[in-house]
Amino acid sequence: MNEHGHSVEIDPDKCIGCVACCQACPTKAIRVLGGVAVVKPELCTYCGNCVRVCRYDAATAKTSNPADLKMFKHTVALPALTLYGQFGRDVMPSQVMDALRKIGFDSTYDVSWMCEMVTAATDAYLSECNGPWPKISVTCPAIVRLIQIRYPELIAHMVPIETARELAAKILRRKLSSELRLDPSEIGIFFITPCSAIMNSILRPVALDQSYIDGAFSIAEIYGPLLDAIKTTEKVDHDVPISPSGLFWAMAGGEIAGMRNTNTMAVRGIQDVEFVFDRIESGTFATVDFIEAYICPDGCVSGQLVIEGRYAAQRNIQQIARKLGDQGQVKEEKVRTLLREHFFDLEEEVKARPARALGRDLKQRIAMKKEKAGVLEQLPKKDCAACGAPDCETLAEDIVLGERMVEDCLFVRIASLTGDGTTGMEGKDE
Amino acid sequence: MKAEVKGSEILYVERFRILHGDYEHGGDAAAAIKAVLKELGIHPDLIRRLSIANFEAEMNVIMYAEEGEMEFQVLADAVRVVLTDRGQGIPDIELAMTPGYSTATPAMRERGFGAGLGLPNIKKNVDLFEIESTVGVGTTLRYSIFLSERQRAGEA
Repeated sequence: MNEHGHSVEIDPDKCIGCVACCQACPTKAIRVLGGVAVVKPELCTYCGNCVRVCRYDAATAKTSNPADLKMFKHTVALPALTLYGQFGRDVMPSQVMDALRKIGFDSTYDVSWMCEMVTAATDAYLSECNGPWPKISVTCPAIVRLIQIRYPELIAHMVPIETARELAAKILRRKLSSELRLDPSEIGIFFITPCSAIMNSILRPVALDQSYIDGAFSIAEIYGPLLDAIKTTEKVDHDVPISPSGLFWAMAGGEIAGMRNTNTMAVRGIQDVEFVFDRIESGTFATVDFIEAYICPDGCVSGQLVIEGRYAAQRNIQQIARKLGDQGQVKEEKVRTLLREHFFDLEEEVKARPARALGRDLKQRIAMKKEKAGVLEQLPKKDCAACGAPDCETLAEDIVLGERMVEDCLFVRIASLTGDGTTGMEGKDE
Repeated sequence: MKAEVKGSEILYVERFRILHGDYEHGGDAAAAIKAVLKELGIHPDLIRRLSIANFEAEMNVIMYAEEGEMEFQVLADAVRVVLTDRGQGIPDIELAMTPGYSTATPAMRERGFGAGLGLPNIKKNVDLFEIESTVGVGTTLRYSIFLSERQRAGEA
């Protein structure tokens, strides 16, 4: 993976300049300029909505180069729990792990039991902390970015517990380097990801100096080889130890399902997340202890880099969990010891990355806000995005910032060509 | 406590009308003001405090008054809200300011309101707070939060 690249990229050769991604972007981070979509990285949450809506394969999620595997003496696949639900309800996790080794990884490692540990650690944290309430899960990295960019005041609400995938990689590297007598840097840990947001969190970790994970491949790109490999795997009776309650983390609601604390909510999809976050800021949900939030509509099973449809995938996960039976992996004593050692703690503070502010100081910002309102008056408020900004308000903002002109609006341009200054497409008079 | 910030020029004003029983739009004024404050790059902590105060004040009008107008002002050194309502008024302000005291009906309580913390909560979250009320006429609230030197300079 290119250290300086972004996990979401738009190929200017493939982009035809339609505005689908621009309108689908939840943080209004995309503009179509000169017929090509351009991402403003400072506003991007790497949610991958643009990848989802692009019909021309121009918006893509960047993953590791398979050649990166050669840089390590020992490589490990760390599959997202979502992977287990991609191959129907009869393929068990042990077969998926076996197939991962067949396609080239030296070993595999399961994250579900670490999810169960994080659940226990979260319960312990909630019982001891003093607010502000509600606390918000940091599992979905697009949610973390959304908070940094759009809801910086909610940073104090984040549960300061590292994600299960990073913790699993941290513990695994320690374990393997002593078992295999390798330097930790000789071990390559690769996440098998359902989304571009996790990929970005590996490139640019939020609360870590450097990710414990070395790279990522998407479920979609290894699905074909994996499916072929699964066909040649034997069904085994003794499955790899999987935590069924951890397995449910693949879907929205799975995190809170395993918690002791039931004063919780699961919030799904960007629109609902915005609805709830707006209200948390105003203090509305202060009686709730914990919120699990995903930018994707059903959690990780609905990431943009999966193959199995999200409904079938959830059915699969449920049935696999049932087949695995009751095999809780986590001993409370172990969790308590790790809590005392601060094993779960976020290593660095989460920083706010507020979206661009109009103007230098308060006076200038107010002047520019008024200017923006004036510009918006001249625009048709059709939010057609033909100008390349997602809506009229964003175009007005870009104009005030000196990046665009009122004439970039097609309605304004047509009106200037007709004799009476109208387009015949106006909305009703106010 | 005097809620007037002396000698300060009003840089920005917006007004919101609030109607009795309009739970459907309850919180809209507070949300709109919050959006403006965010756009102006005001510190999150100040936004949170003012949003809590605004929401409480707005819901008070919806629950207890006939109608009201919330005027939101940005001054050079503070943000200020003046909320004037027409309605029953408050006979005993000291009692109304007591945490836990409430005249909420069971229906309001069912909606999660009426804990008797509204007015005290507003006062707790602002720097200046003033309340005037005439029984049978209405109530006026004035409250402000100061902007620090750094905020005025544009550092959130």
